[in-house]
Amino acid sequence: MRLGLVIDLDTCVGCHACATACKQWNTSSITAPLTDYDPYGKEPSGVWFNRIRHYEIGDYPNNKTVNFPMSCMHCENAECVTVCPTGASYKRPEDGIVLVDQDKCMGCNYCSWACPYGARELDRESGTMKKCTLCVDRIYDETLPVEDRQPACVLACPAHARLFGDLDDPESVTSRAVRERGGYGLMPELNYNPTNHYLPPRIRPAIPTSDLPRGSLARKVKEWVNRVIER
Amino acid sequence: MNPSLAVIFLTLFSGAGFGLMAMVALVNDFAIDGGLSPLRTTILVALALLLVTIGMMSSTAHLANPKNAWRAFTRWRTSWLAREGVFAVLFYPVAMAYLGWVFFTNTDRNDGALVLGSAAALIGLVTIFCQGMIYACLRTIRQWHTPLVPANFYALGLALGMTILAASQMVVHGPDLILASTACALLVAAGVMKAIYYFWIGAPSGTTLQTATGFTRGPVRLLDQGHTFGTFLTHEFSNCISPARARNFKIAVYGLGFVAPTAILLAAAHMTLGLGVLLAPVLAFIGIGLERYLFFVEAQHVVNLYHGRMPGSLPHMHPALRGGTVRPAVAGKPRLVPSYEKH
Amino acid sequence: MPATQHDQEHGPSEVKYSTCYMCACRCGIKVTIENNKVRFIQGNRNHPINKGVLCAKGSAGIMKQCSPARLRNPLLRKPGTERGAGEFIEISWDQALDMLTERLARIRATDPNKFAFFTGRDQMQALTRLFAEQFGTLNWSAHGGFCSVNMAAAGLYTMGYAFWEFGDPDWDRTKYFMLWGVAEDHNSNPMKIGIEKLKSHGGKFVGINPARTGYQAVADEWVPIRPGTDAILALSMVHVLLSRELFDWEFLIRYTNAPFLVVQSPGEKGDGLIYRDEAGQPLVWDLKKEALVNGLDASCHPALFGEHKTADGRTVKTVMTLLAERYLDRRFAPENAAKICGVPAATIERLALEMAHVAFKETIEIAVEWTDWAGRKHDKFIGRPVSMHAMRGVSAHSNGFQAARAIHFLQILLGTIDCPGGFRAKAPYPRPVPSPGKPARHSAPNTPLDAHPLGFPTAPEDLVIDDEGRPLRIDKAYSWEAPIANHGLMHMVITNAVKGDPYPIDTLLFFMANMAWNSSMNTANIQDMLRAKGADGEYKIPFLVVVDAFHSETVHFADLVLPDTTYLERYDAISLLDRPISEPDAVCDAIRHPLLALDRNVRPWQEVMIEIGARLKLPVFTNEDGTPKYKSYKDFITYYEREPGIGFLAGFRGADGSKSLRGEPNPKQWERYIENQGFFQYHLPKDIRYLRFANKGYLEFAKEAGFLKTAEPIVIELYSEAIQRFRLAGLGLYDGPTPKERVDQERLATYFDPLPDYYEPLEQQRVDKEEYPFFAVNQRPMMMYHSWDSQNAWLRQIIAQNHLYMNRARGESLGFQDEDWVWVESHNGKIRVQLRLIEGCQEDTVWTWNAIGKQSGTWGLKQGGPEATEGFLMNHLISELLPEKPGERRLTNSDPITGQAAWYDLRVKVTRAAPGEEGVWPTFANVAPLPGALPTPDILRYNTRTKAS
Repeated sequence: MRLGLVIDLDTCVGCHACATACKQWNTSSITAPLTDYDPYGKEPSGVWFNRIRHYEIGDYPNNKTVNFPMSCMHCENAECVTVCPTGASYKRPEDGIVLVDQDKCMGCNYCSWACPYGARELDRESGTMKKCTLCVDRIYDETLPVEDRQPACVLACPAHARLFGDLDDPESVTSRAVRERGGYGLMPELNYNPTNHYLPPRIRPAIPTSDLPRGSLARKVKEWVNRVIER
Repeated sequence: MNPSLAVIFLTLFSGAGFGLMAMVALVNDFAIDGGLSPLRTTILVALALLLVTIGMMSSTAHLANPKNAWRAFTRWRTSWLAREGVFAVLFYPVAMAYLGWVFFTNTDRNDGALVLGSAAALIGLVTIFCQGMIYACLRTIRQWHTPLVPANFYALGLALGMTILAASQMVVHGPDLILASTACALLVAAGVMKAIYYFWIGAPSGTTLQTATGFTRGPVRLLDQGHTFGTFLTHEFSNCISPARARNFKIAVYGLGFVAPTAILLAAAHMTLGLGVLLAPVLAFIGIGLERYLFFVEAQHVVNLYHGRMPGSLPHMHPALRGGTVRPAVAGKPRLVPSYEKH
Repeated sequence: MPATQHDQEHGPSEVKYSTCYMCACRCGIKVTIENNKVRFIQGNRNHPINKGVLCAKGSAGIMKQCSPARLRNPLLRKPGTERGAGEFIEISWDQALDMLTERLARIRATDPNKFAFFTGRDQMQALTRLFAEQFGTLNWSAHGGFCSVNMAAAGLYTMGYAFWEFGDPDWDRTKYFMLWGVAEDHNSNPMKIGIEKLKSHGGKFVGINPARTGYQAVADEWVPIRPGTDAILALSMVHVLLSRELFDWEFLIRYTNAPFLVVQSPGEKGDGLIYRDEAGQPLVWDLKKEALVNGLDASCHPALFGEHKTADGRTVKTVMTLLAERYLDRRFAPENAAKICGVPAATIERLALEMAHVAFKETIEIAVEWTDWAGRKHDKFIGRPVSMHAMRGVSAHSNGFQAARAIHFLQILLGTIDCPGGFRAKAPYPRPVPSPGKPARHSAPNTPLDAHPLGFPTAPEDLVIDDEGRPLRIDKAYSWEAPIANHGLMHMVITNAVKGDPYPIDTLLFFMANMAWNSSMNTANIQDMLRAKGADGEYKIPFLVVVDAFHSETVHFADLVLPDTTYLERYDAISLLDRPISEPDAVCDAIRHPLLALDRNVRPWQEVMIEIGARLKLPVFTNEDGTPKYKSYKDFITYYEREPGIGFLAGFRGADGSKSLRGEPNPKQWERYIENQGFFQYHLPKDIRYLRFANKGYLEFAKEAGFLKTAEPIVIELYSEAIQRFRLAGLGLYDGPTPKERVDQERLATYFDPLPDYYEPLEQQRVDKEEYPFFAVNQRPMMMYHSWDSQNAWLRQIIAQNHLYMNRARGESLGFQDEDWVWVESHNGKIRVQLRLIEGCQEDTVWTWNAIGKQSGTWGLKQGGPEATEGFLMNHLISELLPEKPGERRLTNSDPITGQAAWYDLRVKVTRAAPGEEGVWPTFANVAPLPGALPTPDILRYNTRTKAS
């Protein structure tokens, strides 16, 4: 099993709902809290597991704005785990989720250097590295209703631009989306083999207009051609 | 990358220490220039241990949660950082045994000294390799992901170690052409290696924001990075240096790190400079320290692309991001209790 | 250890359902609470609005709840200190209410209009309005006048519902969606859910907006347009449709006034009015009978086009003929429209044709038997799956009413009104066109008003003016300056009150409105006005009461501060009498109830209002023996009936809770709502879900539910006779009130066009376009839209500074570089801001995020935060008055029809700041913390876990 997310760049409106949903769930979750620094001061900052960047593709007027959420990709070749000296970072064999054991982490930042996706953030207060857990404490929690056993970001996403599923199962919603929409992983040249995939914006066929009448109403107004229609 | 002093000192001082240990063993094993006296060996090995210790101590300052530092050896099967830790720790008993052996037997020419000295040197050299591989194994940082990194670490560590050794010898004994020229040769070699590295990192990289986002059909520009101020990522990764400033730094690296020590050592090989010869290792430390600063600050983590940083470009970003001004944590800093916790 | 099971490190928790209030979207929320702290807020999957999803604001509710800006006690401006000095003392609720009641009682006994009560973005306008009505003051409105009244008015005067909250695209079926002037909206989550649905069905999404942000990011086609020119774009598309006969004949004949005959007698009284029979019925030319007949008679066969002579020799033409004559003019040809709006002619034509293709070639049908207004049975609904939505980008211009009407024209010609796949109404809409109910005009001591303070004028007689033509309301709503100001002109209240024009007032009360900052134009001057004193040394606004939950800039200027609760701490009714949350297929309302115990000395404003109402002995709130009628807000909502069986909440009525929509009060109604996860929905039967304006089943249902007074069909008005009556008044051709001043006559004659037209926004008519080459607009980012009342610790990490955005190529051609500090100057003032060059910006436009800028020290922020030093308001550049013209009184910078604040009519010039000139300008003095305020934390480690790392 290879659990992960598929992000639909065709519908992501860039609202940051996934980021704050993640923040609120995880600030009280297994790596709680997600510390905020200077929250009401000059340079507010904090620990987030999911950040959304916004890009412009192409030049005006043929430009497109693309919103780009990024969180842990739960890579197949998770170098962050390979490089971790303490064993705090690990990848679960049963579902591929990459986690950081807060009791083992020494806060050396090395795993974050190994991550090309910026998925790991150090909590300076606890001195430990924190990252997306794929809401592992939701997705298996049998006290939650079945439909709520999803990552907080997926539950929240108003544009349904986030899909959660088993990328190893060809029939999962995620695998199907990747197959049908040409989903891709980021920076394949690094060979991390990220589990999370991105669906590119759809290209929509042109709407035909040649089948429409070419009549001239200017003429008709003068001729007062009316149709008999009962009110 | 963030040029954290802790990591600069770690690699600089421990590299010099391991280099010194290696050169002591080499000189003694092969009785180069007649070898060192037991006393001098003792002093130099102690110095090597001190340098390694300074490096190791400063590395723990880099840890946000040092109470778990003891766990750093557990993943030696996969992690170069763990391996570095293992070998660095292994270095101590062997180097100290060598030190003790030489001190108590008052000779550095017997079999025991040979074995222990060579073993300590070898472990030190392996540790330098591990140190280099900590950086070289990262595919995320193009400037580091090269065999040139461990090669450079070797060249610089050995050059520093030999410079210390030669200078210390000449402070006491006056001109020593063999040791001085060995040190000079190592310094020149290190300088050449570093030049190769600098040329290599100047070559363009294939990964761009376009390939990183998958939008390769047109220009891709950052509209908004999704946070106004710095984050851990910008603090850790967004340091950079302008090409002009980097050039000035490199002049200093070569002037202080290679040219001046070589000149001093060559002069000392021909005339008595007294304590003045110690300027050679001091300047070498400063120069190679600057080199280490550049090593970090020129390294561009691939995640910077997502923040709109093209390779080699200086960011137009919020001033707070340019220097990565997220303040470092201060342990035990008094805090106001958040309002919600009062109820 | 990997958590594969329930995270054990938590205390007991409970799950409660309520309604979000981080913005006006009003999503259902499911809140997990641990130890009186919020563990998690998620969308309620069963809720009709958000169906389980939640936006960034909703998830950041936790940070609102622990904001250090929360007010904690009633505050009184410290005696002897100046207003705006920020010195307060804490007082008790009894002291505060004694003081306020005594003052209000005195005002009510003399001249109730001296009490002006204006409310911000609240969602309890039905109650605040009731309070004002009972008090007897005309001077009440909510914030719609500076928000989007153009959008509401245009819809209500055209088809009985509107964009805003009164309609929605049929997301399940629409195949073409055109979005006008919207980056983010009230309908925040439904819009996102809908756009995803549209796209997954293969539909096309076209975004018309000067900036490619917000929803435009995912638009399949972005149409950059010059601000304020939407009307010409829409009408040019109308031109294309008409010129190729691409309109829905049946729809126009059956459901609109397109076949009605209009008198054509220029220069005479009665010109431009609908030609009617003696009974007042509109006449049409019957093609079968070849005679003039009652156009409302179901059996007639009206001619859509034609010109006839009346018995008295006047010419009459059908509305459709007038419409065709107007819009087929070359003026509206795409190549001419392109010169104004900046959209290429080929694009205009293609977009019009694409919509026509989808409407007429991809028609859908829903097989359901239904009965039309005349009792005729039909076996299906025909759907033309083109839908639209528009909001502030269109409406916040002084030509916005007509622009919004023009957009509705496109929809109506295509027959996409309330049909499957089209733009559908939401209960209690549609209402008759125009809506019934005229604004109250008379105020008397100790007497409630005889009507709502706001209403829908259809003729000059309905204006709220005295016999001399002078405004009777402090905001001059319903005067000649803004005759159909359906939502008031809140943005004019401070200016008018300080000038004493039309009269001075005594007490001004603002609820949830930041009028000393981002909700006012001309912010710095407004702050000065709030401090202004007369020759007698008294403040020109003698007493300013501010009701809010947070320390806003406006609180700083208050004489009396009444602290409110947060949305997680009180009862609220999201009522059908107010701003409804219905869906096209269901009548809905909702509640909030206290999820968290109060931890400070604050009270919900609705509770306080009901108490003040009883103290003042306002009839609705008082028993005949003078005792309070209601124990609490909760009690009031349960038992108050507007008419028999109709109360604030429509669900679970009747003594046993079994009745929906209408029924006697149910003492357990709140409990039933809470059991039902905080909302009520009544699913409409399938046969009354479409074409409701002419759907007999629906009209009868709506009458029973109290939405409509009669079950008469609602006729869509392409041609607005009401508007024409005002025009006739302006032309001096009206039997009734007519304006005396030339400027009013001209404005009525020019802008009150019964068919929408494009005119240049008023302010732009008066500024030099060479000198001020850029249009300047602003918008709210999604994660802060409408999230007005806290500077949220999480959301401000996402954005705490705004820039001025300019088109990159244009900026570079002018020598600008990214990050330059620039001066932005309008006719009204200048600001210094930082520039960003981007692709997603129309070439002649600059824009910024609104309301990021804050006054230092407010909102619980520390001194000198980025919102104060790097964030800025564009408001300083915008005047609430039009540029002065010699010999003319100062006029409001608003739509001349509705009084909608013309925020986006602004034109500016941009010049590079001198070297060394950095940082935003102007800046404002730091505001000191309020007495009793808790310190702001340096580190925040919010969590509800028993074990944290």
